[in-house]
Amino acid sequence: MAMATHSSAPARAPRRGPLGETTKIRLYQIAVLLVIIALWQVGLWIGWLKPYVYGTPLGVLQSFATQIADGSLLRHFWVTGQEVVIGFVLGCALGSGAGLLLWLSPLWAKILHPYMIALNGVPKIALAPLIIVWFGLGMESKIAIATIITFIVAFLQAYKGSQEIDPDLIRLMKSLGASPWQTFRTIVVPGSVPWIVSALRLNVGFALIGAVVGEYISAEEGLGYMVYYSGQLYDLNSVWVGIFSLMIMALLLEAIVARLERYLDMEH
Amino acid sequence: MSAHDTVLTAEAARVVYNEGTDAAVEAVRDITLELRRGEILALVGPSGCGKTTLFNAIAGLIPLQGGAVSVGGDRVEDAKGHVGYMLQKDLLLPWRSVIDNVTLGLEIRGIARTEARRRAQTLIDRYGLSGFENSKPAGLSGGMRQRAALMRTLAFEPEVILLDEPFSALDFQTRILLQSDVKRIIREEGRSVILITHDIGEAISMANRIVVLTNRPATVKSVYETPWGSEEIDPVAVRERPEYQELFSTIWQELELAPRQCEIGLT
Repeated sequence: MAMATHSSAPARAPRRGPLGETTKIRLYQIAVLLVIIALWQVGLWIGWLKPYVYGTPLGVLQSFATQIADGSLLRHFWVTGQEVVIGFVLGCALGSGAGLLLWLSPLWAKILHPYMIALNGVPKIALAPLIIVWFGLGMESKIAIATIITFIVAFLQAYKGSQEIDPDLIRLMKSLGASPWQTFRTIVVPGSVPWIVSALRLNVGFALIGAVVGEYISAEEGLGYMVYYSGQLYDLNSVWVGIFSLMIMALLLEAIVARLERYLDMEH
Repeated sequence: MSAHDTVLTAEAARVVYNEGTDAAVEAVRDITLELRRGEILALVGPSGCGKTTLFNAIAGLIPLQGGAVSVGGDRVEDAKGHVGYMLQKDLLLPWRSVIDNVTLGLEIRGIARTEARRRAQTLIDRYGLSGFENSKPAGLSGGMRQRAALMRTLAFEPEVILLDEPFSALDFQTRILLQSDVKRIIREEGRSVILITHDIGEAISMANRIVVLTNRPATVKSVYETPWGSEEIDPVAVRERPEYQELFSTIWQELELAPRQCEIGLT
């Protein structure tokens, strides 16, 4: 077989045959999904799975189509998306900033140490009912839950990152006559980037959990509300639609964070 | 310039960790020495004798419990930025290019970016890193990284340069070549240097004078002038000379004795 040549653009990944590795992986990923759906459908046909307990692939597709057509899915997606993104951005920005700034005050770091341990250990979602009480039933409370949870994770990671800076680098800056603020700007902030990026990755999941749990507790729209409400009605096809939509949202956010990570890596 | 124009003096410098507690450890005791302008002074001593503590004290990074260290007449604690140093670790910032690493000290001093880069570029061109100014440190060899670290130290023109075992992480061949390069660069730039090392050969081949330290607490045991003084001589070629061998074995015997005395309780 003749090898295809691409003179206009270099290949992005080494090719070992007619299909590139990335394409091959994508095909396998789709195959895994198809196998799961097929097993699900076969289970229903032979009676191992009950449609009213597990839903049906066809029913899920129909529910998807109906909810896209009437605009309700997009509305729920948009509401949850806003809660997640706003909460994620606020929580990560404020948390990372506060965690890094703590480097400037070892005294405050010592004072806050037991609180950091307590916050790290507590299941953060346990704060959700309190936040609903403080911020009301609207979208603000879900944003607040996502913000507070992601704040804690970003804060702890950024603080940890700042503490992991090589002490010899700090001494070097001191010997150059740098002020604590110059050391902070020049060494601590860029040196903590890998920790901050890992917090971003963790926080994609935490922001989603925050918003969805908030919607479970009290809401009138959003994917969490849709899943919870459909579950109450035993409309399992709609529950699956909600879950798959949340997965799509998670994948989108992950892709954005991965892009940001690559950019920061290049800068780093 | 007089032969004894002094740029740094340590007078009875004393460092005690955890002073006043049961865990007090005296690391440096009454060290008195002077660094003359333009010379390379080597400090050698047994492993763990307190060389790095003395280094930190001279750099003004840790407080003294007695005595004083002065640079250009000012106490070193008040003369931040007058002492530049280079360690075994190059401490290059991995997210910055070579040129931006070299300008670090200038940036701290508030020198305008264009001027800082111009000065850094001059050093880079002069000392063989041309073409790598925009590379990240990860793309350089160990020797090139140490050379970039030296340029960072030279760029902000400190009165005194402290080198703490800067070559010990390198392979033998790179180490010898870099010793030669660093000595030449330091001489060309007219810098005064304190070199801390456990490598006697490195001390003899690079320095004008060698201070031998005792086991902990570090004190000055003896001082040797190298026979070549300020004569321009290549640190590789010098190893062939009989005086090198003689001085090597004298210092070797002194250093060998120190840990043994320690083991049998003589110190």
